Amino acid sequence: MHKQLIKLTVNGDTHELAVAPNQTLLDVLRNELGMTGTKRGCTAGSCGVCTVNGEAGEAICSCLTLAIEWDGRAVTTIEGVQEGSELHPVQQAFLEYGAVQCGFCTPGLIMTAKALLDVNTSPTEDEISEALAGAICRCTGHIKVKKAVRRAAEMLRERDAAAR
Amino acid sequence: MQLPQFEYLKPATLSEGLAMLAEHRADVKILSGGSDLLINMKFGLDTPRYLVSFNGLEELVAIQERPDGGLRIGAACTLTDLVRDPKIETQLPALRDAIHSVGSRHIRNVGTLGGNLCLDTRCWYTNQSENWRATRDGCFKTDQELCHVIKTSTRCHALNTSDTAPMLMALDATVELSSAAGTREVPLLEFYREDGVQHTVREPEELLTAVLVPRFDGRAVFSKLAQREGLDFAAGTLAVAVTGTNEAPRSVRLVMGSIAAAPKALAGCEAILLEQGINDASIDAAASAARDALGKITNLFTPSGYKRRLIKNFVREALAELRDQAD
Amino acid sequence: MSAKKEELSVVGKNWSRLDGVDKVSGRSIFTDDVRLPGMLYGKIVRSPHPSARIVSVDTSAAEALPGVKAVITAADAQGILIGMNQPLLPTKFVKFVGHEVAAVAALDEATAAAAAKLIKVEYDVLPTVLDMTKALRDDAPQLHQKAKRNVGWEENLDYGDPDAAFAACDVIREGEYVTNPSHNCYAEYHVCVADFTKAGQLTMWTPTQTALLFQKSLAAGLKLSDSDVRLLTLNSGGGFTGRTATRPHHFLAALLSRKAGRPVRIRASGDEEFTMCHAGGKVIYKLKSGATKDGRLKVVEADLLFDSGAYVESQMIVTLLTSRYLGALYPIQHARYRGRLVHTNNQPYYFHHGGGIAQFQFALGQHLDGLAQDLGLDPVEFNLLNAVEEGHTTLEGSHYASCGLKECIEKAAAKSGWKDKRGKLPKYKGIGIGIGAMASGAKGLFKHDTSAAFVKIADDGKATLFIGLPDMGQSSHTTMAIIGAEVLGITPDDFQVVSGDTASDPLDVGAFTQRGTFNTGNATRNACLDAREQLAATAARQLDVDADRLVFRDHRVYPDGEPDRAIPFKKVVYDTLHSLEGRFVMGRGFYNSPLKKGTMAYSFGAQIAEVTVDPGTGVVTVDRMTVAHDVGRAINPRIVEGQIDGQVFSGMSQALYEECVMENGQIMNPSRLDYKMPRAFEMPEVDHIIVETVDPNGPFGAKEVGEGPIVCTMPAIANAVADAVGRQVREMPMSPWRVLRAIQ
Repeated sequence: MHKQLIKLTVNGDTHELAVAPNQTLLDVLRNELGMTGTKRGCTAGSCGVCTVNGEAGEAICSCLTLAIEWDGRAVTTIEGVQEGSELHPVQQAFLEYGAVQCGFCTPGLIMTAKALLDVNTSPTEDEISEALAGAICRCTGHIKVKKAVRRAAEMLRERDAAAR
Repeated sequence: MQLPQFEYLKPATLSEGLAMLAEHRADVKILSGGSDLLINMKFGLDTPRYLVSFNGLEELVAIQERPDGGLRIGAACTLTDLVRDPKIETQLPALRDAIHSVGSRHIRNVGTLGGNLCLDTRCWYTNQSENWRATRDGCFKTDQELCHVIKTSTRCHALNTSDTAPMLMALDATVELSSAAGTREVPLLEFYREDGVQHTVREPEELLTAVLVPRFDGRAVFSKLAQREGLDFAAGTLAVAVTGTNEAPRSVRLVMGSIAAAPKALAGCEAILLEQGINDASIDAAASAARDALGKITNLFTPSGYKRRLIKNFVREALAELRDQAD
Repeated sequence: MSAKKEELSVVGKNWSRLDGVDKVSGRSIFTDDVRLPGMLYGKIVRSPHPSARIVSVDTSAAEALPGVKAVITAADAQGILIGMNQPLLPTKFVKFVGHEVAAVAALDEATAAAAAKLIKVEYDVLPTVLDMTKALRDDAPQLHQKAKRNVGWEENLDYGDPDAAFAACDVIREGEYVTNPSHNCYAEYHVCVADFTKAGQLTMWTPTQTALLFQKSLAAGLKLSDSDVRLLTLNSGGGFTGRTATRPHHFLAALLSRKAGRPVRIRASGDEEFTMCHAGGKVIYKLKSGATKDGRLKVVEADLLFDSGAYVESQMIVTLLTSRYLGALYPIQHARYRGRLVHTNNQPYYFHHGGGIAQFQFALGQHLDGLAQDLGLDPVEFNLLNAVEEGHTTLEGSHYASCGLKECIEKAAAKSGWKDKRGKLPKYKGIGIGIGAMASGAKGLFKHDTSAAFVKIADDGKATLFIGLPDMGQSSHTTMAIIGAEVLGITPDDFQVVSGDTASDPLDVGAFTQRGTFNTGNATRNACLDAREQLAATAARQLDVDADRLVFRDHRVYPDGEPDRAIPFKKVVYDTLHSLEGRFVMGRGFYNSPLKKGTMAYSFGAQIAEVTVDPGTGVVTVDRMTVAHDVGRAINPRIVEGQIDGQVFSGMSQALYEECVMENGQIMNPSRLDYKMPRAFEMPEVDHIIVETVDPNGPFGAKEVGEGPIVCTMPAIANAVADAVGRQVREMPMSPWRVLRAIQ
């Protein structure tokens, strides 16, 4: 099994990496790039702690996608969510609403919520629950997380309105 | 969990990819979304020497209207793209429901229709790590002539848990299978086999390239029985498609999934509704017939007897919803 | 010491977590993120059989594999026991599926896994016993010589004269309940990194609820002195009573590291997560209770059988915890308890969220709900009539200096509209009540229940607090900062909380038995009072007043009633340090329950659940939870709500979904997908009612909230389901098939 050179853009920076076909995107982010903000959980796509955002901003389980498939493509991780030193509204809302406890699932949840809100700043309750269904949060039981997402949506709508 | 080693092949065109499948047919798997295959590989259930990736090929992601009014759906369309497609939403809302019930958004963002139709069968004796499986002998799915679910069986009873299959079967869809030798079309009703191991008629060198859904002017309902909404394999799924009126239906298709190694069209139920129309009495009769037809249901993941107890109500409620759609 | 609410300036407000920004930006480091030069990856070889004799272990092929740096077998692990009698690596017999047999460390995870596969273990399979009731029979295989009829531990307690009490009762009820095996299922999988490369010195990174107990356990097992073991706990991704003791993988990683001369990481892979630490096992509860016709509960008898699995590690605690519970909520004078831990070839039982008590309350809460109905009483009425009150002393000696149980019941009933709903809902809709209590502390489990704290204040007026309590998500660091800030008259964001390194942490028994807020909170308060006293000496001189007239508030120091004479806090600190004496401000404090055994406070609560049951499928939807909890004082209301939410989730999850389905001693559903827990869609609306009784012994009156609510959730939901269905579902989880069976 030979390693192959790929060009992977992470949070806007392009890296040239030698990857083996059987390395997942999660492996490469954490082990090759040292970006440990994206967590390793069930490694089978059912817990969501490894969530990153793909090229269309969509929520993807990085444990279930091969790094080699991302040659020439771009991905966003939790490390790329902040806007300079300013927290993104999703991050602020999570803090404000007490949606963070142990913090292990937090990066995954934030990427999941961001994927939802990047395309839809007025999600219904069901849409929020649906987006979050792919992620586990043992500590909060999702209750404050849903409230935080609602609040983040509100903040983003306000920001959009102000920009117009 | 680790992925085993393999060689990764990325064709630039469809025909190049098909040639690769033909060349390596003895030891090759198709990578589309990967959310099923990669887990099986991590479990050591699939250890192909070659993976051929068909991701990113334009001709596999188109959704086109056909001359007769039906749809041709590229098999590599992600489930999310299909959920959002206006043509599917307006013409086949029940299909949209079925697609929408697969996994979670995370899974649907990479999972493809072709992948879901070809979803490997599941069994909780086999969909486990190698270490876990070391507690028992192997089985038909691995390396022994034995089934842990039904000990006296001569075949594998792993469940087909595809949510899209029953609905597309009820809609009389056809799949296009392409290989280096050409293409063939197989009605989905003939695509599945009652065998947890060889569960489709697809040959290893064939790629499911498109799903052809004929024009549908009737009413359809998709229903999924699961304890959790979102990211839960079904305890049972039901897809019903009817044309004509409740009093005089022209065609009736009723297919159940997640109850056997293949989704099952329940001919007996269909006949009852076709003959008697769709009303309280016939719905009740069809629901009872559904439960009887299923007979010995392999009960994986839920205790024995539960599905049998549920089937009648489950079918009845879905049929009632279908009947009410006419209003 | 109780301060009126209006007098507090910091406590009781919603402060953001101190570590929040790091957690939302991915900067927080967890054990799996630790990378050390030369680090190896370990993999454990486990028995696939529930019971077998080990014939041979051949490691030669593994040792020969390139990249393998160390292999250990029973010979390397001699004398190391997990708990009372479980050998870390057995030489002769394996007694449960997953029992560790050997371990290997290699350059990468794939090589370690391949090497583990190459270790050939030959087994002679032996007869098993997997069911408790069968295990108690004379003809069952005996797992341990010393455990007659497989009873590994037994606790029998009689209070008063239960037989006479029953004889005097007008209404008696008997019932049997079952709760099934479960797993903590935190987001962070089990993991540890061991660096045992320096002779006689072990450093370990691992998530834990108690660095102290881990340190002692590792030291004892590895024949080191406590101080030669350094635990670095970083962030812990959830505890839920599952990270309160060392597990085999901790020792195996240490041994591999010593042998290889390099650090070693071991992480649970997939289903192994369910084997590395297995939470609750099956429990059968036989209950009998009696009341007089005036509705007063007089006597409770409980006979509990715990499937303890193949070994007793520390499970015996559960008999202590559950026995206490008989008289915790109602002032009965007579009770009988029998608790037996039964050995089977299942995995050794450990604790799930609720510590055995919440699960017991699923049974007892339903049972007494039934008794209420036998008496013709509405359950809320029954509970109000019988519930304990402030000033009560329980059967085993716990004294309730504060108790808001009745207030919780009344408020929850009022808020939920109980009166208008109970008995008036349509078929298959139900409303039920569950009450509970939880001790704040562990005295009696341990000889001392001490927490200590140090605080230093720099001349910029900012404080650094050193504590030994791990924050596993319950926000304890922030809570301590709030307590300290209140004492010093500054704000929590002026604090840095340093914890998570046994080399510098002061003593703290740990974050379990809900001792954190109470014990470490009091220790923090004491440490900050000490520091404040030092500052008060300076300010008193400067203001020419007695030190005890000084108020520390809003970053200022002033004599009571004379805020116009205030000196900035920062200046007092600076002047202290820059005085001729050059006195640095350092405070120290500790707290230990003054009782010989028993904790100083209990939290209390009442919850009302409203459910809808689908009669066609048996699926239960929880529509609403009304939660009232007496927390003494809410140091940080948002955190208290978060705790309540998380426990409503966990309680609901255990009540309705969670179950390790066992077959042949093996878990059939060891994954996040098949081991069911509800997610975002399934969560109900939760109404929070925080009741503050201001406990005289807690820091600013605070008591625990880390496990009290979950005790109430399970019986509330169970009783609501019984109301909806017309019949009790006596087995937990109340999965759809069990509910359906009760309906049909």
